[in-house]
Order: sequence, then structure tokens, then C-alpha cells
Amino acid sequence: MPDTDAPTTPGPEEDVVDLLLAQHAQIEQLFLLVIGSTGDTRRDAFDDLVKLLAAHETAEEEVVHPLARTLPGGGGDAMVDERLDEERQAKETLQTLIAGGVDADGFDTGIILLRDAVLLHARHEERYEFPHLRQRVPADRLRSLATAVRAAEATAPTRPHPSAQSAKGNLAAGPALAVIDRVRDAIRKPSES
Amino acid sequence: MFNPLDHKGVPLDGQIRNWRELNVEPIDPEAVDPYTRCRIITMNGIEVEAINFQHQFARNCPDQEVRRQLAYVRYVESQQQRVVNWLLPGVASVLETTLGYEQVAVDLTAWVARHEPDPYLKQAYEFGVLEDFDHLYRYANLYEMVERRKAEKIVNGLTEVMPGRPTTQEHRHPFDEVRTPYDRNSVDPRSKLHALTILSAEQQVMFYYMNVGPQYMEPIARQLYQEISLIEQEHVTHYESLLDPGENWWERLLTHEYNECWLYYSFLQQESDPRIKAVWELHLQMELAHLQQAADLLRQHDGREPEEIVGTAGLPEPLTFEPNKDYLRHLLATQMDVTKLGEGYVREAHERFEWMQEQLHDGQKPPSEQVIDMHRERFGDEYRIETEGPHPVDTLRAQGGSHA
Repeated sequence: MPDTDAPTTPGPEEDVVDLLLAQHAQIEQLFLLVIGSTGDTRRDAFDDLVKLLAAHETAEEEVVHPLARTLPGGGGDAMVDERLDEERQAKETLQTLIAGGVDADGFDTGIILLRDAVLLHARHEERYEFPHLRQRVPADRLRSLATAVRAAEATAPTRPHPSAQSAKGNLAAGPALAVIDRVRDAIRKPSES
Repeated sequence: MFNPLDHKGVPLDGQIRNWRELNVEPIDPEAVDPYTRCRIITMNGIEVEAINFQHQFARNCPDQEVRRQLAYVRYVESQQQRVVNWLLPGVASVLETTLGYEQVAVDLTAWVARHEPDPYLKQAYEFGVLEDFDHLYRYANLYEMVERRKAEKIVNGLTEVMPGRPTTQEHRHPFDEVRTPYDRNSVDPRSKLHALTILSAEQQVMFYYMNVGPQYMEPIARQLYQEISLIEQEHVTHYESLLDPGENWWERLLTHEYNECWLYYSFLQQESDPRIKAVWELHLQMELAHLQQAADLLRQHDGREPEEIVGTAGLPEPLTFEPNKDYLRHLLATQMDVTKLGEGYVREAHERFEWMQEQLHDGQKPPSEQVIDMHRERFGDEYRIETEGPHPVDTLRAQGGSHA
């Protein structure tokens, strides 16, 4: 069998769009795992999903959407605002799910709603946003942004701490916050220079 | 067995659907049975053929009253096509739908090959299926490069993904694509349905690739669609030439409607999604009425009874989407190096084959080879799904053999 569970090893030519696409694929797989499992497996998969979504959405908010706003012919601000609105809505659903935990009554329904919202959002980006980045942003700039995002995520914890309390916070709490900060710092440094 | 000629179906004047009925909820791509997707893609191809066939009929028909009747049923068939194809979800990408198309081409053609009673026709399906099998492998590699996802997401272990007859070897002289047609008077009625079904499916693949290919920005994607869409056009020539050109318009119309009844009936038997099953049920009831109309036209204008065209036995065994892994592995092991000469099959690279290869390739690697090279370069290997062991052909085993 092919390595369906291992994330793709990034090559030197990989740019930030490749990286975000690979993360979309990982997010899809984690949703499948969460929805199809129970008990500790589900809890672990959901923790992984929360962490990945936090890092991924932060990278997009910091990199992709601001860049897309500046590009001619990309639909501009209105399109970016729509993506940000989708992200806000997804975060609200995610916060509810985190607060209740995987054993809560409404989790099964909520996770499907979240999956539909997140995957629709991802496809919108892939169809309307990423092609403009590839077309209009210099390749070396897209590659250096990939390096920044990867570096930030590499230093993040591999999994949120299994503290029962951490699940009571919202998205901007505990391990998820650490990931967001690291990603944000790493991305802002090269772009401000 | 169910005989559609014995049923009236939904009256024709009750078959026009309103916007609410046309606005169908698509399948959930994250939870769909892959063979439900295959059934949707198949019926889309069948309905597209129904529409195009009836347009051609109308252009060749001097009788205004018949033209009006054809126009009405064609409009209904057109709404059926919209409903069926709109079951595909907007969140699926073009490449994901493409992988679905190739899964259809593999498992549909393999099933038909296994059930075809005529040896010469059976050979035509066995020959063709190894080529679509290879396309699935090429597109799976493109998919991982362009979308960073794995074809397993689409085929879900039901169909293996590995090299078939290499696409580069599929470019033959068009003369050699033309087959010997069956004889309409002596052929088994099942063979007529098989040929029309595979022809319709391959024709839709051709239409799809030749139209969506240029929407890609990635050069390798544009080129691969261009190459494989040219093969699909050759497949249309291959399969359409199996049909007896002596069949007149009236009997062809009857065979088309009868075939639609067979397929909706088949898919109704096996559909796992109740909502989609309801669509197959409704469409079967509509097709029964179309068949009645075609039978009346045949009687009035051709003086024959429908049983003279499709037999008295009723529908054949339901066509089934199911894994064909062992059968395909057997074909890979025995028919990989076959090509065509004249209306037959040979194993040597004959002069006309070599001539065509030189004209087209002109010393360059075609996109179907480049896509695998690029995948190896970028990911260190090629994408395969070999669930039943290593490739049956030694020379086509994965380098390093790590995928088995």
C-alpha cells in the first residue's frame, strides 16, 4: 500500500501553495479519522486536527489572504472577505466542539458541519485564490514563505497537552495559541524585512 | 427477468420537472461509496449519448411529427442528464472527477468483458480496458502533484492503481482502430447493449477531457489531458465501429431506450444510497415510457416488432460495479503487449504502428511518461495502489518494489 498516512515530505522546490495543499489533504484525512473512530483514537485525532487547523488558518490569514488582496484580477477584497468570513464561522463551530469535547452529545453532528465548512473553504481557496498566487507572485517568494511556515510548525508541540482543562478553553488557548504565535512570528519576520 | 417492454412507466406528459426538482442535492464526496460515484458518471455518459443520438436522428429525419416527438423526449432526456450529472458535488475538483471517470472505465469495461458472449467483441473490451487502467495510474500521479492528495481517496481500495498498457504505446494509426462490426441479425441482444454502453462511457470521457483540459494552469496537466483525450477519441472509434452500421434509425432509437432501461434497472438493484436509488427508480419509470414511444415508432415506420431487435428474454443480468482485480491482473499478465493491425490484434510493432509512433512522438517523451518522471523527481517514487501484490508484469514493477 502507498503511504496514505504519512504527510508528504517537502522538497526544496515546494512553495507555500504546495504546503497549504498538503495541509488541506492532511486536514481531510484527519476529519475522516475523527468521524470514523471512537475513544482515545478519536480524541487524539481531534487534538491533531485542532492543532493543524490552528496553524494552517493562521498561516493563511497571515500570508495568503493579505497577498491575495494585493493582486490584480483576483476578485480582490470581496473574495478575501468571503474567505475570512468562512474562517470565522468555522472557528465558532470549532470552539463549540473543543468546549464540549469529543464525548459531548452534539459532537457527531458538529464535526460533520465543521468538516463541510472547512473543506468548502479549502476548495474555494484552491480554485479562486491559489491560482492567482502562483500566477502573480514570484516563485522564489512563494518558496521562502513555505520555508517560514514550515519552520514555525516544526518547533510547535507535536500534540496538545492531554490536560482535561485545556479542552475547556477556546481555540486561542493552550497549545493551539503557541502554534499560532510561532507561525505568526516566523511569517512576519521575513515579510517585514 | 424484468421485461421493460411489458411496462408503461410514467406518462410522457408528466415527465417535465420544475426548478425545485432539478435542483438536486449532490453526493457527499467525503462519504460517498465510490461505486455510487461510478454509477452517476456512467448514467451521465448514457444520457449524453441519448441526447446527441436523438439530435443526429432529428437532423436526418424528414417527418415533422417524428421530429416533434423526438424533440419532446430529448428535452426530457436532457433534464435527466442535468439531474444525474448535478449529483456530482461542486467541491470535487476536475481531477477527482477524472479519477472517477477512469475508475468507471476500468470496472465497467472489465465487467462487460467478463459477460460478453461473443469472443471477438470480448477481445475488444479486454484490449481497451488495459488502456484506461493505465490512464488511471497517470492521472493518480498528476493528482498527487497538483493537489497533493492521493487517489486512494477516490478509488478507496476497490480498484488498483498501477501501470497498464503504457499510454505511449496506445497511439496507433487510426486505420487500425476500426473494428469489424457485429451482425445485427445474428448477434446476441446483450452484445448490442454492451457495445452501446461502453461507447457512451468512452465518448463522455473524451468530451470531458477535451473540454476541461485547458482549464489547468500547470503545463503537465494541460499536456496530459491533451494526450489522453486523443486516446479516448480513438477508443470511441474502436467501440463505435463494433456496432452494425446497417441498423436503421428506428432500431437504434429502440436499442438506446432499451439500454437506458437496462442500466437504470441494474443500478436500482445495487444502489447503496437511498436518495440516489430514488433517482434511478424515477428515471427507470421515465425510460419505460420512452421505450414505448420508440417501440411505436418502430412498428409504424419500420414495420417490425421491438422483440425482433432486443429479443424476448427481457433484460440481461444486471450490470454491476464490483472489483475486478483478479481479472485485470490476468489481462495484464497476458495481453499487455498486444496492439492492433487491420481489424485484428497482433503482438509485433508493425510498420504502420511504428509510423504513427514516429509522427506523434517525434523522439520526445509524451506527457504520460513525463508525469511519472516528474512525480518520481518530486516525491522520490511513483504513486501506485497495489493491494493484491506486486505488478504481474516483471518489467512494470515499481522501482524498489516498496509499494506492494
